[in-house]
Amino acid sequence: MASQAVPKDHVTVRTDPIPAGEAVVTLENLSLWYGDFQALHDVSLTVPKNQVTALIGASGCGKSTLLRCVNRMNDLVPSVRVEGQLSYEGVNLYDGAVDPVEVRRRVGMVFQKPNPFPKSVYENVAFGPRLHGYAGDMDALVEKSLKGAALWDEVQDKLKQSGLGLSGGQQQRLCIARAMATDPDVILMDEPTSALDPIATDRIEELIHEIKKDYTVIIVTHNMQQAGRVSDRTAFMHLGVLIEEGPTEQIFTNPQHEMTERYISGRFG
Amino acid sequence: MSLKGIGTPADQARLARRKRIGQIYRIVTGIPVVLAVLLIATLVFDVTTDTVSWHVVEPDNEGVNLSFQEGFRWFGTWEHVVTQELEARGEDPAATLGDAEERRKFGLRNRVELLWSLNGQPMRWVVSNSRDDRVASYGWFEGNRMHDELLAGLEGGEQLRLNPWLDAAFFTKNASRTPLMAGLINALVGTVWVILLVILISVPIGVGSAVYLEEYAPNNWMTRFIEVNIRNLAGVPSIVYGILGLYAFVRLMNIGPVVLSASMTLALLILPVVVIASREAIKAVPPSLRQASYGLGATRWQTTSRVVLPNAVSGIVTGVILAVARAIGETAPLLMVGAAAFIPRIPDGPFATYTVIPIQIYSWVGENDPEFANVASAGIVVLLVILVALYAVAFYLRRRFERSW
Repeated sequence: MASQAVPKDHVTVRTDPIPAGEAVVTLENLSLWYGDFQALHDVSLTVPKNQVTALIGASGCGKSTLLRCVNRMNDLVPSVRVEGQLSYEGVNLYDGAVDPVEVRRRVGMVFQKPNPFPKSVYENVAFGPRLHGYAGDMDALVEKSLKGAALWDEVQDKLKQSGLGLSGGQQQRLCIARAMATDPDVILMDEPTSALDPIATDRIEELIHEIKKDYTVIIVTHNMQQAGRVSDRTAFMHLGVLIEEGPTEQIFTNPQHEMTERYISGRFG
Repeated sequence: MSLKGIGTPADQARLARRKRIGQIYRIVTGIPVVLAVLLIATLVFDVTTDTVSWHVVEPDNEGVNLSFQEGFRWFGTWEHVVTQELEARGEDPAATLGDAEERRKFGLRNRVELLWSLNGQPMRWVVSNSRDDRVASYGWFEGNRMHDELLAGLEGGEQLRLNPWLDAAFFTKNASRTPLMAGLINALVGTVWVILLVILISVPIGVGSAVYLEEYAPNNWMTRFIEVNIRNLAGVPSIVYGILGLYAFVRLMNIGPVVLSASMTLALLILPVVVIASREAIKAVPPSLRQASYGLGATRWQTTSRVVLPNAVSGIVTGVILAVARAIGETAPLLMVGAAAFIPRIPDGPFATYTVIPIQIYSWVGENDPEFANVASAGIVVLLVILVALYAVAFYLRRRFERSW
């Protein structure tokens, strides 16, 4: 079935909204344009601390764009314009005084395709801390980060070898360890398993479960089973509009909006 | 049943025709390759064989005639052979070699040569003199063919010599009016000085521009205008750069016809190539690595210096080497900015008068004495070896740092 237009004044259906006190990231009426094209329409979303929030929706619905707003990666795209508020622990990240470089240290990111640097495993993890002039015990930090990403046992003898020599799944966990090494509070994951086989995917999903006690995770996924397995809350987007958000279980078993229902039952998208 | 039999006869006929057309194109596109290889092989063959020639010589002094072992003393070879020579002439070696001025004068008029053949004997050391009478000269092949005949026809005091022009003396002597005494040292050192400064000038400016254009410049009409014009500049004839160098550096900045103005002119000449090659190398660094770096909170400069440049360096170095190889072979712009055909002493710095190998070859080719053609060939071989060595380094670097992402 063809995707259908959404009224621009659509009011997001919310189930069990998060009280402001528990939020770590809050989006208020966030709109974004690439040149003349509006990719996000007045999105408001509250992301709770130490939980996994999944963004789902068909290709081109703006979920990756939304994710990249949170650590201001969209700033790197020329001709991007953002309106509205995105606050992180009460600070509007799009305030003129906020430096995106500092934002990205606190909001780490894992990309769709594993992208380790062509450096050793050790140097990959140490890259972030070195950028920020980390003065502590680098060996300990690298070990802690690799353990955090459940990769230490596999690479502790290969720290000096190239990160590109690892398998796809290991590379992605290396990227997670690399993101953890700068000690962020939030980790953004943009379809982190789409380039991986089912077993590697499984390990990443387990890992997401484990790390949420220390980090707030926002994950974009095309795979609805994955959203069901890993996330606590789910937000469904369509053509730049946030249609519905709520506890994952609720969204998957009892969607309130007709489009959400049709998307999760696989009838469009 | 074999796969060949699949399809109707009409299908098979069509397939046969398609394959025939493929064969024709394979031959048509292959011909230029074969031609190119043949041409290069001919050039190299011609030039290298020209660096060796046969001479019938009536020496001014009979002098010494030493075997390879008798004459060879590593770095003491020249002194050793000259000592033997002077003793054979009945002179006192200490008087000549002990006095710096006498030693220099002797060096100007005499050349210690390792002949490949002397009256049929292989590898003999002799000391040639500018007053030696060259009765006749023959090319490498001609001489080989007529060798026995020539040997039999030698008259009293004459020797048949196989003379390699490209020998140690060629690298230690300066240009001279006598082909036998001519060497490359001043031009070689001049080339080294010029190229060293070209690299020092063009690399920081070229790589800097490339980094700015790729990483910092806003994408507006001004940037695009600059980009287009850099590409255009790469196609400007080198003589135009020569005129620019003459006006701007030699005259306006009053640097004079010295190494520095030559280097600045050549640096201008290769800058577009350096910028283009560096930009291509920087562009080839996958965006995913930049994103990873920015995602970790790197600033633009940290991303450039820690991720982009280290991964682009092999491409940049390769581009710089290829550009420098072009600069080494340039003649026209240097004629404009005052490279001399002859300079009396070895260039010793950026403000020395200079000549370079291509200019030296050019002036040798214009000489009347046909033996200068042999000297020029020797110079060409040196130039080609330098260029091939540079290309080899570029090739090695490309292979060494080749990456799959």
